[in-house]
Amino acid sequence: MSGTTSIGIQELDKALMDGIPKGYTILVTGTPGTGVELFAKQFAAAGIGTENVTYFSTTERDEDVKNAMKEFGWEQDIRVVNIGKMYYEKVLAKNLEISRYRQEGLKMKDILQYKAIPADQAYDINFLTTLTYGISKLKPPFRIVLDSLDFFLEYYEESDVLSAMRTIKAHTQHNEGIALATMLKGVFSNRIESGVEDIVDITIELERLRDGSKYKRNLLIRKVRNHPEKTKILSCTIDKKGISAKSM
Amino acid sequence: MASEKNSSLERERCLTGIDGLDNILDGGIPRGNTILFTGSCGTGKTTLSLEFLVHGALAGENSLFISVTESSDKLTRNVIPYDFFEESLIKKGTLVFVDMPVVYERLGLTSVEFSLEDVDTLVRALGNLVDELSIKRLVIDSITSVCYRLKTEEKIREFILKIGKALSNRGCTSLLISEISPSADRYSLYGVEEAIADGIVLMGNLERRGDLLRTLQVVKMRGTTHSRAKYVLDLTPAGVLLVPLLKGGSG
Repeated sequence: MSGTTSIGIQELDKALMDGIPKGYTILVTGTPGTGVELFAKQFAAAGIGTENVTYFSTTERDEDVKNAMKEFGWEQDIRVVNIGKMYYEKVLAKNLEISRYRQEGLKMKDILQYKAIPADQAYDINFLTTLTYGISKLKPPFRIVLDSLDFFLEYYEESDVLSAMRTIKAHTQHNEGIALATMLKGVFSNRIESGVEDIVDITIELERLRDGSKYKRNLLIRKVRNHPEKTKILSCTIDKKGISAKSM
Repeated sequence: MASEKNSSLERERCLTGIDGLDNILDGGIPRGNTILFTGSCGTGKTTLSLEFLVHGALAGENSLFISVTESSDKLTRNVIPYDFFEESLIKKGTLVFVDMPVVYERLGLTSVEFSLEDVDTLVRALGNLVDELSIKRLVIDSITSVCYRLKTEEKIREFILKIGKALSNRGCTSLLISEISPSADRYSLYGVEEAIADGIVLMGNLERRGDLLRTLQVVKMRGTTHSRAKYVLDLTPAGVLLVPLLKGGSG
């Protein structure tokens, strides 16, 4: 290991190894509304200037990612690879068109305007492959954000997603980069949650509990590879500067 | 076959324009009928059906050829040498070629096996095209290729019944081309198509004194009296010629 890098939250860095060792893969999980996506952006911003930051977005548009970072006063010098947009263009837009023809009827011009896809491109795109290929091309020092794994778990076999995660982890480890993936909590089976957690080096869970008329937020360090003593619960605050944590 | 109702004898006819065939059919195909054109490969089904469409287009009836297996580009190239073919018919839009795979693609019918809902979608789409282009003559080459995607007898029956009804309601006279193996003891690959069609025209090969003759026989045709004799079919640059098959001799 050659040093550490910041996860983007000072207290969390301290609670870990004064940062996260290069080569590590992190999972951030939580139910909707806990700030998982914000965590991903804060993590991305923390790498700007020292690492090449690539943000793989599956639901947000490029500008949504950057605007959110801007609102919290962070730099936005990151590269966004928009898997969600590619999926829309290649799959959803086509489905929309098909439903239009089915509803409104097929016209001769729709047939005449049809352009056959060249035979060498007439295959279904595997976005999981697109992701791992995209990551394999990254030059160190790199910081990868994958927001989120949910997209892939929804469309591909669990075993394929786990295998892709292993590839990403291996590439990150080998090149001493750093990677973070987000995943919703409680949506997928325990088997898949444990499977992903087993691959990553650090698992962070964001938790939001109701406390009377307020929410109480916690940041759970659920797993730190080889350092079970570092697993603990920090209290967490989200304000206009982003996420911060405090020992309880 | 003179057991048809009297009123049906008055049905308007769709002249095929093919020498001999209109005589065999006592004045042409009753308009709105859905006919199964069946035979093994090389028996002239495509050529004959194209000629049927071209004659219709020349007479001002909009005609549609739906090609399932062969690309329509290739098909038109093959038909250009025939004397009866006029390229202007395509330019004017009286003779229209549509590739069925494009229809499938547009409707998202990409699974290997169609569902009953897919059958409805397909029939509706073909009906849309017939309406839009005011089609009076239609050929599907081949219905067997469509049936491959339907798999079950139930769905094939549903498709043929619905497409037949949709086309007949629109006054469209249609030829459904069906592929059978030379040794088949029935007129269609699945056996369902032949029971539902309004007519069956069987095309075959006959070896006689070392020559392979093409033959044509009208097996069934609702709404008209017709000959059931076997005719020899000659594909000439001028189109299809039919002459009665001479009996006797060493067969």
